Formats: sequence, structure tokens, C-alpha cells
Amino acid sequence: MSNPGQVTMWLGLIAVCISSACYAVLCFNRDNRLARYAARSSFVGFATLATIASMLLMHFILNHDFRYSYVAGYSSRDLPLEYLVSSFWAGQEGSFLLWVLLGAWLGILVMFKAKDMEPQVMLIYNLNHIFLAILLIKQSPFELLLFTPPDGQGLNMLLQDPWMVIHPPVVFLGYAAFSVPFAYAVAALWRREYDGWIKPALPWAAFSFVSLGAGIIIGAYWSYKVLGWGGYWGWDPVENASLLPWLAVIALMHGMILQQTRRKLRKTNFVLAVFSFLLVIYCTFLTRSGVLADFSVHSFVDLGITGWLVIFMFAFLAISIGFFVARAKEIPVSKKGEGLSYFSREFGLIAAIIILCLSTVVIGLGTSAPLITRALEKASKVSTQFYVDTNLPFGILMLFLLGFVPLLAWGKNTVSKLTRKLIWATLGGITSGVITLASGFPGTGVFLLSLFAGAAAGMNLILVVNLIRKKITISSGAVAHLGVGLMFLGIVSSSVYDRSEKLLLAQGSLQNAMGYEMKFQNPTLLREGKGVRLYLPVEVKRGSAQFIARPDIFSEAGPDGQMKRFAHPHIRRGFISDFYMSPVDFDPGKKTHGPGDYITVKKGDKVQFHDYELTFERFDVSGMTSKKDSRHMRVGANIVVSHKGAESVSLKPMMTVGEKNEPSSRVQLPGPKDAYLTLMSIDAGAKTIGFVYHGPESAAKKHVESPPALIAEVSIKPGMTMLWLGTILMLAGGVIAIVRHLPK
Amino acid sequence: MPKKSYIIGAIVIIVALIMAMHSFKSSLTSYVSVGEAKVSKRPVQVAGIVVGGSKRYDFKKNSLFFTLREDGGDEMVVQYDGPKPATFNDATKVVAIGKYEPKKQVFAARELLVKCPTKYEGQVKGE
Repeated sequence: MSNPGQVTMWLGLIAVCISSACYAVLCFNRDNRLARYAARSSFVGFATLATIASMLLMHFILNHDFRYSYVAGYSSRDLPLEYLVSSFWAGQEGSFLLWVLLGAWLGILVMFKAKDMEPQVMLIYNLNHIFLAILLIKQSPFELLLFTPPDGQGLNMLLQDPWMVIHPPVVFLGYAAFSVPFAYAVAALWRREYDGWIKPALPWAAFSFVSLGAGIIIGAYWSYKVLGWGGYWGWDPVENASLLPWLAVIALMHGMILQQTRRKLRKTNFVLAVFSFLLVIYCTFLTRSGVLADFSVHSFVDLGITGWLVIFMFAFLAISIGFFVARAKEIPVSKKGEGLSYFSREFGLIAAIIILCLSTVVIGLGTSAPLITRALEKASKVSTQFYVDTNLPFGILMLFLLGFVPLLAWGKNTVSKLTRKLIWATLGGITSGVITLASGFPGTGVFLLSLFAGAAAGMNLILVVNLIRKKITISSGAVAHLGVGLMFLGIVSSSVYDRSEKLLLAQGSLQNAMGYEMKFQNPTLLREGKGVRLYLPVEVKRGSAQFIARPDIFSEAGPDGQMKRFAHPHIRRGFISDFYMSPVDFDPGKKTHGPGDYITVKKGDKVQFHDYELTFERFDVSGMTSKKDSRHMRVGANIVVSHKGAESVSLKPMMTVGEKNEPSSRVQLPGPKDAYLTLMSIDAGAKTIGFVYHGPESAAKKHVESPPALIAEVSIKPGMTMLWLGTILMLAGGVIAIVRHLPK
Repeated sequence: MPKKSYIIGAIVIIVALIMAMHSFKSSLTSYVSVGEAKVSKRPVQVAGIVVGGSKRYDFKKNSLFFTLREDGGDEMVVQYDGPKPATFNDATKVVAIGKYEPKKQVFAARELLVKCPTKYEGQVKGE
């Protein structure tokens, strides 16, 4: 075969199969040193081959080897280095390779950290990678074209952003990490180590949380910064596909913490580990199988892996159920008498897990709506409002727990001990409640949400301060929960209290809107790559503060020859609120035609001059047939003219064309008495006519121009800083948790 | 753990799921033609192209108006008040989700989907 990439991937598949076979031997005969050696080295071989395959693809991209369909489809010669690198994961095939690569690398870490559990953990982990490798070979980035195009189609403009360079690797690192807790969970059932797996798997669950969470947030930030629709989350299937496993892994983390400290929820944690991993596959199926093609802003293309994904999903479901059923009776349940008080940290954690699972189920239901309804009748999707409505009560309950549960100790609690500490939650709640009410009552649900978000932030802030002084690592939960509180405050303020207006900003004139003074200045056009970027600077003033907003519109011809435009918003970040200006349209302005002007119009088009609107319907060639003089022809034009919107009048000026053009005689226009039109030229090739308008003297003075204008959507979004700060803290809490739970 | 709490927990979960199902059913929108959209009482979604030159902005109402033409050639005027998707300008195909208002003779869209090319974009495979 002449395709080194494809060969490498096949070899990789063989290596990971050998590794699995050897691990299978080890599962039953753990002292077989040869098998251990072979299993480990063939896994390292698999990781090496995955690395080689990735390097090959990167090599082809960097060297513009357009024989490869993938390289031709996602990169081009003029791309700068960083976007050449990121075109590696711009398409489905490349991002699958990235997933396998990251999974293989993580696998080496798992292999050397799993100790006694290694054979079973690595067998399950390998099975997962066998499937991924098969998918990758089915959907190969090394497919060759039958011809070599001179240049590639390039990377989509929207993806040419630094955040989109790192977003996919971070997401796929998270996706790859999900299979580690799953492998541990199944291995634990196999080995009857119902508690022993938690310790090594917990940091991996935390790692999946941080990585996928960071990916989601980077995606949201990119959407806010680049897409210019003013939002950061649209409940699109692609977004939900990351959110679902992420919520499940948060539930898993909490379950694991409860099991580690109180020896509870053993069965639940198995289910959660399996559930979160299967969600990764299910969501991959949803977003890559084409089943949602009509229901997303993204175009999904089925590359023929749907069947494999379904087999993949059911195979792992069957393995998990099989092990679970076989061991279910043996799994110890928490002792009777160790009763659960409603007033304890345990109860709070269990409630949190239930809420997270319910939220996952509901979002999963919404995302799968086209699939479910297709089975019943017509495929339908749910509106985004569905996700908001159903998750609002979960959000309220969750934030209530976050403000209150951190106070509770494990086991039993008494009210009197707590009231003193509750003051911080109360203070936080009152502060956000008062601010919310001062900004306008948002409805009971949202009001409760911001009330409890404030309480959660207040409570956890004081916890962070107290805990960090003792030992940084024990503050992981408090830091993450403070982040969640702030994030929800940011979500409420930016989505409920944002103000937005569409404005028509004519060049040079001052416009007042939303408390700002805006003046659209000279637009400038700059060539950039294959397209042009139109900068639309607007001088913005508020009180003494002044800045220039520079939204722009980038246009380039797509591979199909159609012009594509990408509007970039300008964001002026502020501590309290963001000023967001998104260009909607640019009107280059028009010169209205006045008397004496020579005006051309195309067949079928309309043209406006002074108070008239003229439509050129068709040429009138009736004069040609009657007189067969080759040097001169009488040709006319059928035009329809209306004055100031009054009823249209049909006119048929005729002119002589040939060796010597003779303009038509003056034709009286409707409206004022002394308004005429003379047909001056006829161009049959370009299908245009040219005429001169002789208006009344008075019209000459009204000869006006309309200046260029920018149509922009301007919005003021409060709380964005708080939102991003919250998400960063939430992830920072996750990072602290990884460190905290790393096996010593 | 007392058995009672299991029952309470189960009831809470069931109630939550029933409410979710109810919300699910009421927020479903299915694809219909322009003709069907004009008589539908429920929110629906209609796919079509934006008729060239039909876009206009009403700055007083803060809305965008355009004419949507479906494959069969049927047309209707769509009003959209929300933020405009970045790729709308050059959208060949849009999906408007909302309800037709017979009094105003416009389709009031509450969501506008524009086929936006991201990493899931299909490749043009050479022959």
C-alpha cells in the first residue's frame, strides 16, 4: 500500500488488539511475566503508532500535500502556522485521530498507575481503543483524492481564532479521560474490589471534569467573542453533547467522594461511571451520525460510522450490565442503623447527585428529541426554552444546596451550631436579592435562582477564606462551589438584564442610544488572505470615557464561488458590564441620481433617480424585423416608471443603433411637466440600457447623497466578568481536587 | 435509611420527570411547509432560503424582516426580533422556528437557525 498513514493505523489496531489479548491472559494468570511484558510493550507500540499517524497527518498538512482529501478539505497554502496546526482537528476524521492519540497517551499513565488492577483496567481500556481505532480506520483522515488540487479549501474563517486552536484538544482530552473511570469501575466489579477502585479513579474523574469543562467554557467564550450573536450558550446539540457527559461526571465525582469518606453509594457509583462514559459515546453518535442534520446550526455529515457507533455503545452497555448483574448481590450496602439524616452532608450530596442526574436526563431527552419523535411521527426538535424551563428548578435546588450543605458535617447536625455560620449565606443571598430586585423583578424562578446563587457564593467565599488558611488542597470543593455561585449570578445578569438595540449609524452623524454617544467613522477596507476585511470603526462616548469600537466584516469567496461574510463583534469589557457591538450589515450609501445624470440599468432591474423609480423590463426588437438594414437598427426598451410611488406608466423609447448611434427622442415622464428621459445607449451583450434624465430645474437642488451607514446590534451585558471568573474558579476547584486526590 | 425517604425521593423524581415530559411535548416543533405553517396553531419550523433583497430592519421595533421561500416556491414574511446569527448575511438556507400570526400576516420567529459550517462541515469530496 502506498498510504503510510493508513498502514500505520492498521498496525496500531493490531498492536492494541495484541495488548488486549495479552491483558486477557493476565486477567486469569497474573503471574505470566511474558504476557505482562507483551501487553505493556504492545500498548506502548499502539501509542507510538498513534503518535506516528498524527505526525504523518501533521506533516501532510504542513507540507500542503493536497492528495489527501482531509488536507485539501481543511487547510490551504495561505494559512498561518497556528491555523495549519489546528486544521488537524478541524474535521471529524482528524478529531477522531486526536481522540485516539490522547487516549493512547493517557493509557500509558493508567498502565503504570493501576498497580494490581492493571490487567482488568487495561483490558477494558484497550477494548475501548479497539473500537476507536476501527472508527478511525473507517473514517480515515488519510483518504486519498483521485487528483491533486492546486490548493486546499482552507480553514473556515470562524475557526481561525486562537481559542479554536486549543478548544478541540481540550475537549478530546476530556473525552479520552472518561474511559478511565469506566475501565476502573468494570475492573472493580470483575475483581470484587468494590471500594478499592475509588481512590485511583477519583483523580481521573476530576481530570475529566476539568478538561471537558475547560473545553466547554472555551467553546462558550469563542461563541461569545467570535460569532457575534451576543450569547455564549445556545443549547445546540453539539454543545449539549459535551454538557451531558460533563454533568454526569460531576455526579460521579460527588458519589465517589461520598463513597470514599462514608462507604456509601457503591452501586450508584458503578452506574454513574458507566453512564458518563456511555454518554460520551452516545453524544458522539448524536453529533456524528447525521441523525440531527436538520436540527442544528451545525452541518452534520454521516461518514458511515453510525452502525459502528451503535454497536460500540451496546457492546459496552452489555459488558457493564453483565458485570453488574453478576455482582449485584455481592456488593455490600451501607449498614443498617447508620441511618441517613436529612440534615447531613451525606443527604446534601445525594440530593446533588439526583439533581445532576435529572438535569442530565432532561437535557439528554431534549437533545434526542429528533430521534425520539422520528420513531413516533414527524421528527421534531425542542425549543431552547425547554432546556431553560426544565433546568430552572434544578438550578434553584442545586444552588440552595450549595449555600447550605457546606455548613453541615457528616453524620448528625444540630440547628443551634449552624445558625451562626448561616450568616454568610444569608448575607450573600440578601445582597444578590436586593440587587436583583433593584434591577427589576425577573419572575419568581429567576429571582430564587439569583437569591440562592448569592447565598452559595457568600457561603463558599467564607469557606474558601477559612480553608485556604489551613491547607490549600482541602479548599477544592469550596473554590469550585464559589465558582458555580458566581457563574450562575453571571448567567442571570447577562441573560435577564442585558439590553440590546439595533442601530442605524450613518457615517459622521452622532447618535445617542442606551446611554452612549456613537459616531460611525470612516470604514476602511483591507486585503487579508483570500478575502477582504472591512473595518467599521465607531467612536463611542459615555461621560468622560471614550473609546473606538472596531467591529469588522470579513468577506471571502468560498470554494463554491459564493461570497461568505463573517461579522466580528467588538467587545469592550467592563468589570460590571460588557459593551457588545456586532455589525449586522453595512450599507455603502448611495448617490441618488439627479437631473442630467447618465444612468444605466440592467434588464429586469430597478433603478431610482430623484423621485422616480424605473424598471427596465425588456428590449423591444419589433423594429428590427420590419427593416432589414444591417447597418442601422431601431431598437427600443420597454420601461415602467412611477413618480413618487404613484401608478406606474409604461414607456417605449426607441433609438437607432449600428454604425452611428442615435439617441431616442425625449420621452415625457409622469409627474412634473418638464421632466423627460432620453434613451442613449443599448448594450445587448450586457443587457443594459443607458439613459439621461432631464428633470425640472428645481430638482437639481435636491440632488442628495445618502452616506454609508452601519447597521449594528449594540448590547450591554452585565455580569459577564463574574460569569467568566466563576467558570475559572470552578475549574480551579477541579484542579485542586485532582491534586488533593492523587494517590500519595 | 428509612424506607419512607426512598418513597419520597421516588415521588420527587417522578414528578420532576412528568413535568419535564409535559414541557418536552409542549415545546416540540416539527418541520412543516409554508402552507402548513400558516394554519398551524402550534410553534413550528420552516426551512427555506432568504429571498434576495428582501431583508430589512425595522429599528423602531428592533426587528428583522425577510421573505423566506421554501423549495416548492411558497413564500412568507418572517419577523425576527432576536440577535442575528453571524452567518445570516450569506445564509443560503435558514430554518425559522416560531408561529404564524395571521393578523399581521407574518411568521414571528423566535429562533433562527442558519446552517453554519464548523468542524462538522461536510467535505467536498473530489471525484
